[in-house]
Amino acid sequence: MNLVVFACRNLARRPWRTALAFVGLAAAIGTLAVLSALTAGYERELRKELDRSGVQLMLVPLGCPYDAAARVLKGRVLDASLPAEALAQVRRDPAVAAAAPLLLCAQVRTNEDRADLWVGIDESAPALKPWWRVQRGKAWFSSTNGVILGSEVATLEMRAPGDRLYCPGADATFTVDGVLDRSGTSDDSLFFVPLGRAQQLFGQPGRLTAIAIRLRDPALLAEAARRLQAIPGAQVVTTTEVMGVFQNLIGTVRALLSAVAIVAVTVGCLTVLNTLLAAVLERAAELALLRALGASRSQVVLALAVEALLLTSAAALAGLLGAAFGGAWIQDAVRQWIPLAPERLATPLSLPLIGQSILLGVGTGLVAVLYPAVCALRMAPAEATRTA
Amino acid sequence: MRLPLLQGGLVVVGLLGGACWLAKRPSAGEVVFEPRSQILEPAPLCPWRQPEADLHRFFPGATRWQSEIRVLSGQLLELRRRLGRDPQPEELALQVHRVFRNSEELGAVLVRCVHGEYGAIEIVLAIDPQGTVVGLELQRQREPAAIAAALTSPDWLGAFRGLRATDFTAAAPSLPAVPAQARSSADAIADGVRSLLILHQTAQAGATDGAPIHQQR
Repeated sequence: MNLVVFACRNLARRPWRTALAFVGLAAAIGTLAVLSALTAGYERELRKELDRSGVQLMLVPLGCPYDAAARVLKGRVLDASLPAEALAQVRRDPAVAAAAPLLLCAQVRTNEDRADLWVGIDESAPALKPWWRVQRGKAWFSSTNGVILGSEVATLEMRAPGDRLYCPGADATFTVDGVLDRSGTSDDSLFFVPLGRAQQLFGQPGRLTAIAIRLRDPALLAEAARRLQAIPGAQVVTTTEVMGVFQNLIGTVRALLSAVAIVAVTVGCLTVLNTLLAAVLERAAELALLRALGASRSQVVLALAVEALLLTSAAALAGLLGAAFGGAWIQDAVRQWIPLAPERLATPLSLPLIGQSILLGVGTGLVAVLYPAVCALRMAPAEATRTA
Repeated sequence: MRLPLLQGGLVVVGLLGGACWLAKRPSAGEVVFEPRSQILEPAPLCPWRQPEADLHRFFPGATRWQSEIRVLSGQLLELRRRLGRDPQPEELALQVHRVFRNSEELGAVLVRCVHGEYGAIEIVLAIDPQGTVVGLELQRQREPAAIAAALTSPDWLGAFRGLRATDFTAAAPSLPAVPAQARSSADAIADGVRSLLILHQTAQAGATDGAPIHQQR
């Protein structure tokens, strides 16, 4: 009889106890796997949401940013602007994923109590505006005289792709290349033109009003802001509050889910420990007899270890299968506890997660069998037989 | 012998299925669903930007004005006949700013946004109680200076004075010539005036049907 058959027979001797231990550990492993996958999915989806928000940093000329905004809105040329070299420096920063230069210019329409806001952009701008959807026409300028209109402006000026649009302040005529879908952002009321053309038209050659920046990882915010702040004549405006809320959310959810997972795993481990302890102590006389018949200590421990491994590895596999098939149900149940849960939470069980779960199950079994085995082996065969 | 035949058949069927699927699959740039009808793009609601100045210009002595919205959807067939086209959605609710000297009605002001060559043009049309044009003003336009000068010239705007809706039904009334580059915007303005007069007259004819749906000031 080999060790595996021996272990199987021993497990089968108390089917209910074995089954309960199996179910307990499987539930614990399954819960751990689902909650770990959920945490990973939540972080990933939240990061995606943040990426969709586009800009995380703005580099603006030194001075009061509110004053700069007021000046732009009044149609005055900014005294301070960023040189084009600042853009090259920003793009060289290792934390920067995308940097889009902007030149803002306002053309006051006195009769209408409003100003046309013209924005010069280059090809990098769409990367920072994930909400940009072209409703009609082209997604980019077909020539330097092209203009892309926000949806409100297009409605107000009754423009469609191919129409002409005159800019009275700069005495220039543009051709409408595209009209953006309504986004609910300030883009709806902006006139977008090629950066070089805007710089030429509005008398700001080589200058920028601001640089919008998205980072490779939002966690690099403080570090990147410190470096960018060192660019001469520039200051960094961060979305600190947003980032703070983002990091707090992730931390809270991680703590919540980890706590649930730890409780589940602890209960599962204790169940296995209890089961194996009871099984070994119950068979103390039998183990003593084995020793008396010539079995070495290591052979007895090995037999117990195989038994524990069989139970726990099967439970771990069952738990993972349960997580794979019942994960969606658990996700729906957990979603209501999670603040600002994105639409999609689940992430597939990854290989590291599967390995980690199996290791946890098997490790639990080995640890659980060690103490009872040592207890049983310390007992003298004669005493064990008498006790039994 | 049969097994290779069966395998070969399966491969052929698989390849044909794959080819059909690839042929039917839309490419990345292709529009999957193209609506058959064009999206109606109504003109923006046109505000009356400088009522005090316009009242002073067109109705000296006016003491107050009152805005009403006349719903014309019940006169769709009549409008279609008179306009010579399907009315735009925004044309089915005509905003009329009625002007008074105390309790005496002096006329009305109608405002509309039309498609100029270089941007939207907002026209302010003043009419007397009989529907005759008292005056026309462009409250907003973004045409180049030469075109703007032609379109805002007193001669050209003044030529609309005295016109009625019926003057537009048979043949277009004779208006002073404008430079060729201003022709498109001038036509848009003339068409806007014509539409407003027809809409107003239709609204007046149907006014016995009921009160306006909304009044202000």
